[in-house]
Parts: sequence; structure tokens; C-alpha cells
Amino acid sequence: MEMLSRAQWVSAVGAVVLAIVVLDLVRRRRLSEEYSLLWVVASVLGAVLGFSTPLLQWITRLLGIRYETSTVFFIGLVFATVLLLYQSVRLSRLGQDHLALTRELAFLRHELERLRRGAPETQEPN
Amino acid sequence: MAGSDVLVIVPALDEEASLPGTLAEIRAAAPAVDVLVVDDGSRDRTFDVARDHGLPVLRHTVNLGVGAALQTGFRFAIEHGYSIGVQLDADGQHDPRFLAALVAPVREGRCDLAIGSRYVAHTSYQAPRMRRLGMWMFSGVVYLAIGHRIADTTSGFRAYGRRVMEVCVHDFPRDFPDAPLLIDLARRGFRWIEVPVEMRARVAGESFYTLSKSLYYPYKNMLASLMVLLRRRERS
Repeated sequence: MEMLSRAQWVSAVGAVVLAIVVLDLVRRRRLSEEYSLLWVVASVLGAVLGFSTPLLQWITRLLGIRYETSTVFFIGLVFATVLLLYQSVRLSRLGQDHLALTRELAFLRHELERLRRGAPETQEPN
Repeated sequence: MAGSDVLVIVPALDEEASLPGTLAEIRAAAPAVDVLVVDDGSRDRTFDVARDHGLPVLRHTVNLGVGAALQTGFRFAIEHGYSIGVQLDADGQHDPRFLAALVAPVREGRCDLAIGSRYVAHTSYQAPRMRRLGMWMFSGVVYLAIGHRIADTTSGFRAYGRRVMEVCVHDFPRDFPDAPLLIDLARRGFRWIEVPVEMRARVAGESFYTLSKSLYYPYKNMLASLMVLLRRRERS
């Protein structure tokens, strides 16, 4: 097995630390299992590439990249992009949920005040 | 309801100053219609002002956008059996004296949507130049999309028939319900008429259209118009 370059060490150790942090966040219920998935995938990928020089070299050649370190950066960038896009999609969904809840609240409050007053549904011309 | 089949929906954001005038004008011009105020997360006394008028008020706890406020009004209209919903801004821009003219074609079944338009006949309204450019552009977008010209795509003074409201309750733009909405409704087979109205400068408060929005508006409505065309056509 070839010696690991310094960049690989950084990537590998970083990935392991990331995995530990992510799993600990899940354990403390600060991060839901659903959202942990992408992060776990990323850290496993980082660790594999960090520890396996042949795989990293193979991917580097496949992508036509000159240096292995660039491959590591490239993969990190792809991951960040995918994660941000995923979060934008989730945010849009949350926005819709938030609208529906706010509207429901408006109707419920109106109904509650009407019932409290014992008022009929009709509008009196004033 | 008090025998009226028309509900005037007044979306209001921080309009405590102009709301009383608008409500009084509606009362004077059309005493028979019912009025609903949708307070879209105002930080001033808009909600209390509307309630003190003895009107039903629906209050969004947070600001959701003028489209969302209108959609809330549509749901109220449908749940309470109204057959026509009229959108009328709280800021005094829309003159309630044109309510009857706007409602008539919908009630007579001549159209599903009546748009109060500044440009069908000569009116005294003079928009700022950038605004005019935008209006002209979106009129063009609508023409390209549906093959008919709608002179005033940005008018917020409209009467919606019940079937239109039933569609809009499920799918409606959250902000700026303009060109993409009109394209969508036309593609669903709804008929519209433009009714000449006069519009005034706002009485008080701030317009929905601030600088950042004036940059976002063309982008959003261009993209949304394109997306309407790319989606499968639905008949209603």
C-alpha cells in the first residue's frame, strides 16, 4: 500500500471526525436521522477516498483531473452543492407548510371569536 | 350572509391609516356587499381597526404575501357560499364606485374573471416609467402565452367567479398574483373581461412594491409564466 499523502490524511481524519460529530448530534436528538443521511454518506466517502490511494487515483484519472487533492476538493464541492439544493427544496416545502398552518390558525381564531361572542354568521350593514 | 352573494376581500398590511377610509367608501358605494379584511401580519392596529368596523377579519400571525392573503379570502368566500369574490386593496388605490361595474359581467355569466383595467379606456392614471415598461412587457408575455392581449396584467382590482376561486384556493401565487396567474386561468379555459376603472395614488402606508421587490418581480413573474406553460394544461 502506498504512503498516504498529507492531503489524504487531512481528508480521512476530517471525515472520521465529521462522522463522529454527525452521529453524536443524532444521539443528542439535535439532528434528525433523515437529515443525517447525506452527512453520513459524505463522511464515509471522505474516509474511503482518504484511506484508499488507488481508488482516489482511479477517480482522478477518470475525471481527467491532474492532482488527487483537486479530486478531494471537487467531491467536497459537489457534496456542498447537492446539500444546499436539497435544503432549498426542503425550505420551499416548509414554506408551504408554514403558510397552510398560518392560514388554518387565522380561520380557527376567527371561528373561536365568533363562538365566544355567540354572534351569527351574518354581516350587519353599519 | 346578509343576502349578498358578493364578498369584497381586502388584503391589508400595515394599513391602519387608510383602512377606515376604504371601508367607508365601500359601505357608501355598495352597501349590500359583504366585506372581509385579511390582515397579512400587520404590525400596526390594522386588525383592531377592521374589527371595530364590525367586519370579519382573518389575521395571519406572520406576513405571508398579498397572494396568500387573497387566497385566504377565497377560502372564506367558498366556505360561506359566496359566488363572487372581489379583490380590493386597502390602500385607497381602488375606487369602490367601480365595484358594480366589476361584478356585473361575472354575475351575468359573461366572464369568470373581471379585471379592473387602467388602460382599456383613457384614465387619469400615470404610472412611473419603469412601472409602465414592466406592465408593457408582461402584457407582451401574456399575449405570447395565450394569444390575447390583457392591457393591465398588474391590476389588483378584480372580480373572481366562484369556479375561479375554487381553482385558486388550491393553487395560487403567494406574492404578485399577476401575469402567471392570468396565463394559468386562461389556459384552464376561464373567460375574462377587462373593465375600465380609474385608479388613484395610494392614500397612506407603503406600497407592496419596494425596490428589492421591483427587481425580484420581473424575474419571478417571467419564470412563473414560463413554468405555467411548461406544466400540463388543466381544464377547469
